[in-house]
Amino acid sequence: MRRSLQSALLLGLSSLVAAVYKDEVGQIDFHHALVGLPQSETTFFHRPKKDEKASLLYTLSDVGVLGAVNPNSGALVWRHQIFPGISHGGGHLRAPEGENWIIAAHGQQVQSWAALSGRNLWQTEFNGQVKDLEVMELTESARKDVLVLFEEDGVTVLRRLHGVFGTVVWEFREVSKDIPLQVSTSLSNVYVISLHGSPSSYSLKVTSLEPATGGRVDHWTVGTKGDVHGPQDVMFVGANSAAPILAWASNDLAKLNVHILGTKSKQDFALPADTVSVEIHAPHLTQSQPHFLVHTRTTTGNKGEVFHTNLKSGQITKAYELPLLPGLGAFSTSSEGANVYFTRVTNDEVLVVSSDSHSVLARDPLKSDARVEAVHAVSEVIKKAGGKEFAIRSATVTKSQDWVLIRNGQIDWTRSEGLSGAVAAAWAEIPEAENLAKVLAEEAHTNPLDAYIHRLTRHINDLQYLPEYLATIPTRIIESVTGGAVVVSKTTGLHRDSFGFNKIIILATRRGRFYALDTGNHGEIVWSADVFPQAPGSTLDVKGILVNDSEGTVTVRGANGEYAVIKVADGQVVESQSGSDLTAVSATAVVESEGSKWLLPLGQDKKPTGDALKDLTLDQTIVIREDDDSIKGVKFVNQDGEIVKNEIWQLQLLPGQKIASIAKTPAHDPIASIGRVLGDRSVNYKYLNPNVVVIAAIDTTASALSVYLLDTVTGQLLASQVHEGVDGDKDISCTLSENWYSCAFFGQYTLNDGTDRDIKGYQVVVSDLYESPAANDRGPLGDAETFSPLDPVDTPTGVPLPWVVSQTWILSEPLNNLSVTQTRQGISSRQLLAYLPESHAILGITRHGIDPRRPVGRDPSAAEIEAEGLARYTPAIFIDGRNLLSHERDVVGVRGIVTTPAVVESTSLLVAYGIDIFGSQISPSGQFDILDKGFNKVTLLTTVLALTWGVVLLAPMVRSEKADQSDVGSIFVRKEHDDVIERINHGYHMLDL
Amino acid sequence: MDLRILLSLAFAALSAAQLTITVGLPAKPNPFLLGPSTHATLSSLHKRLEAPLTTVNTFNFHNVTADSYLLDVHCATEAFHPLRVDVGENGEVKAWETYRGNEWANKGEEVPVKSEGGARGISVKGAGSKIFFVERPAFSVFSILKNPMILMGLVTMGIVFGMPYLMDNRMNPLVYGLANIVAVDPELRAEFEERQKESPMNAIMGNAQAGQNPLGNFDMAAYLAGSGKKEGVKR
Repeated sequence: MRRSLQSALLLGLSSLVAAVYKDEVGQIDFHHALVGLPQSETTFFHRPKKDEKASLLYTLSDVGVLGAVNPNSGALVWRHQIFPGISHGGGHLRAPEGENWIIAAHGQQVQSWAALSGRNLWQTEFNGQVKDLEVMELTESARKDVLVLFEEDGVTVLRRLHGVFGTVVWEFREVSKDIPLQVSTSLSNVYVISLHGSPSSYSLKVTSLEPATGGRVDHWTVGTKGDVHGPQDVMFVGANSAAPILAWASNDLAKLNVHILGTKSKQDFALPADTVSVEIHAPHLTQSQPHFLVHTRTTTGNKGEVFHTNLKSGQITKAYELPLLPGLGAFSTSSEGANVYFTRVTNDEVLVVSSDSHSVLARDPLKSDARVEAVHAVSEVIKKAGGKEFAIRSATVTKSQDWVLIRNGQIDWTRSEGLSGAVAAAWAEIPEAENLAKVLAEEAHTNPLDAYIHRLTRHINDLQYLPEYLATIPTRIIESVTGGAVVVSKTTGLHRDSFGFNKIIILATRRGRFYALDTGNHGEIVWSADVFPQAPGSTLDVKGILVNDSEGTVTVRGANGEYAVIKVADGQVVESQSGSDLTAVSATAVVESEGSKWLLPLGQDKKPTGDALKDLTLDQTIVIREDDDSIKGVKFVNQDGEIVKNEIWQLQLLPGQKIASIAKTPAHDPIASIGRVLGDRSVNYKYLNPNVVVIAAIDTTASALSVYLLDTVTGQLLASQVHEGVDGDKDISCTLSENWYSCAFFGQYTLNDGTDRDIKGYQVVVSDLYESPAANDRGPLGDAETFSPLDPVDTPTGVPLPWVVSQTWILSEPLNNLSVTQTRQGISSRQLLAYLPESHAILGITRHGIDPRRPVGRDPSAAEIEAEGLARYTPAIFIDGRNLLSHERDVVGVRGIVTTPAVVESTSLLVAYGIDIFGSQISPSGQFDILDKGFNKVTLLTTVLALTWGVVLLAPMVRSEKADQSDVGSIFVRKEHDDVIERINHGYHMLDL
Repeated sequence: MDLRILLSLAFAALSAAQLTITVGLPAKPNPFLLGPSTHATLSSLHKRLEAPLTTVNTFNFHNVTADSYLLDVHCATEAFHPLRVDVGENGEVKAWETYRGNEWANKGEEVPVKSEGGARGISVKGAGSKIFFVERPAFSVFSILKNPMILMGLVTMGIVFGMPYLMDNRMNPLVYGLANIVAVDPELRAEFEERQKESPMNAIMGNAQAGQNPLGNFDMAAYLAGSGKKEGVKR
């Protein structure tokens, strides 16, 4: 019974969705599957199979995605979002040489992954934070083990984990106030490096351990003379090599101090003048020669110096240096046997040198399109069969935040990883160079004669396109006959189309970079601009983004007071202002004055910053959120040149409650019908109030979610619901549209209907608002066309409160980032959109499928089915694959979904952003206003032709039959009632005509 | 493979004093073909444990504390039935089938739990492959032919156009054979022709026998009205 119910519901739902057709994939939707910007210390080439030469490119990116990329094509092989949520850098990733697994660590977790399939081998979790991770290449057995350094409440813990099972082989604990920094191994020892002392005078403490048991062998400290101020100042390279080293630069970046682990001395070397940053590259294989390269970037260029370590004496000598070249430059190390190669990516070439001597082994001049500004790179250098030639592949992260693979001086592939980590998105119309509407408006404003001449010249000017147009007619006719669906447009480049499917989506990433994607061109990047470059460790927090389509600009305001106006067409920054702590913006509000919308920035004191409101009066109530527990409605009044904040109303949440989600009406929310026709032809009038917000407040300790519907003008509480047993640790998301709102959460509670039934699972609640509980009745509003919540109503019931109809469903998966489709006139039914974090998909449920008005505990009556299409309430919604707008695509890390209407009423556009970018078109009520691909013009024409042929063929036959039958008629006439047959005959004659 | 599971179970038991739950996949759908993003979750109030798919087609949950959990397996291509997993304070694990949209106490069949030291093993059941796309109704002649109206029309057309030929023994090999027999026996032939003349079908066909007026001895109106021969229609 249950199964059949489920399947019935499943069938019912699938018939309601506007599902995706297979031939539409890639036509209506696009997807940028990203891994994030690779971090230099967690990116490498690695052979996933021991005995095969093919290698994959592995990275743990700055957004917390661990991914394997095919270096030949740039295609994603597998990926995992290993951090909970989108991370801000960090994490550790290592690969043991010649093993088919890689090891990742972050937070409290250590995970081992199969390098080729991306499946998990083992994962363990410990108390304390992972500080470093290293592979132990040489153990007493044949396998390779993992060393993980933890910090547990001030205790330094080093654990050696079994490489195959992840179990603890031994554990080293040291109770001290030192900051654990790194772990390293050499041929004979395991070293734990920690910072000892106070921040003003840290010294490096090295503890050497016995690899087999973890017992302490020795420890010593190396003075740094105040050059080290924190973990980030110490560079450490060459783990597993014969001579791992520690290095740190002096405060003035004039000297580099190098300490070889195992010895007790340090050496220093002078750095070039104007050094900005220093990086050290060294091999990490036991058999590699103990050589390392120091890469220094100066204000003008970059250079490399290669040092050799004498293992016997512990002396470091400078072997040679590579010249100072302009640009950032990138070095990378690769090793083959004992040989160590250093690959240098400069502005115009890629070259390889051996660590032994400075002679260039291979040199690939870069083609003009491959001249990228490299930030860091990893390279694979393979000696070709002859022994002389080298094949070089460099996966380079560029300054423009792309990940490119350079081979033979050419770019093999480019991954726009800078697109990941989007924090804000806004839709924009494609600006048109020559706007006909503008020209016409211009003509209307001049005198008639001028306008006429202008128009005439315009038409003459247009004539030059006539031959071109005429030439296209034959192909257009042929195409319109043979082509299935309406071909949107064949024009390449950025252009509008008549259906409004081509739009620009502006994305702001947390790295301060802005992108524009063209939805008409498979989401290709139109432009990207580094508008607010972020210092390492800081991120851009976009407080407001607003597109002005008439001017073709987008305005952005960041949390630090960053402000920029960018052109939609080409990404040119028209106006910009970099932020500082003093100009911090806590929020922005979209305000409308003088017919245009703009962003009002509010400072830390929730007052407009600067002179934003200097010569403007604003009569709108602005809803602001104070901290986490109160919502206020305020008006800003200009009193003698000073802006005063007048509080109109305030909603103070109960103690313990925190705002979990706020939903406001979409900017574009047209209402096609003010009522809802019921089965008996009566009407329920919708409660339509544009000034409402939904506030979901969670009390985590009591596990209670309160959902409030507020009138933003008066602060009146219109409706409220309390859901018991709601998990505040999981996502809670709400959305609001038309006359309904919806919230999704995890709930575990006992029903209060006396049946004592327990409920557990992910749920979605949908509430409809009507003006009154009775049909054909508007309650206290009567016949009023408008109402103001500020005016008293002359009825005993007081202020008109909405009648709420609410229903809850249990879902098979959690939902978050709830959103609603938008269509041009709101005639199409709406769809509830949500991200499924477990399935990595975008879900679209028709409003009909989650309509709270439905018979509960009984089957719908015939009238209800016929007129309203109501279905009986079933408490579970099984999410079917056909409800997924992203179908088979794996969309990772969505943090927002934005929708916009197309020109045609049937279609709404959506883009989901976060780590990945996914865009699609949805027709919630089907494509009723354009021909879809299922419409076969050839069939139509063939049918018409066949019918014509049939008519032509049958015509003579019919004529001869008729001649015979007229005879029949005449017999009748003679025999029987003449008058009737006369009429029949008359009919025949009419047919004859 | 089994050895590896056993070993991993044993090691898991050694490593963690707390409970480890290992969830196994059924043989169908082929677990080796599932994507690496496949994972399982244990959810309860304020708790969410996640385990990725391992190379031996299991999900390992470590450090599971006492509670009543909802176990879901999330896979991009396949669906699996959820389970209710109860973990007792003493580490006792029980699992049942559970039905979404029903109260939590409404349990289905109990799922056997394998015990191996500190680890417990349960298996989930597959619920079929996920379907993502809707088939576009393609144009097919058969879809038109399946329409009963079209079928009826075709049959009628067949009768209208085909019968005359069928009746014309010179044309139709089927009747031709019959005519041959008739040709052998002149008496039979005469009888056959007589029958044919009288047959109302001939009258309808109109052109069955050349040179004969089929209506000569047939009153169609009367025939259609169901009355006797040449009686005419009663007023």
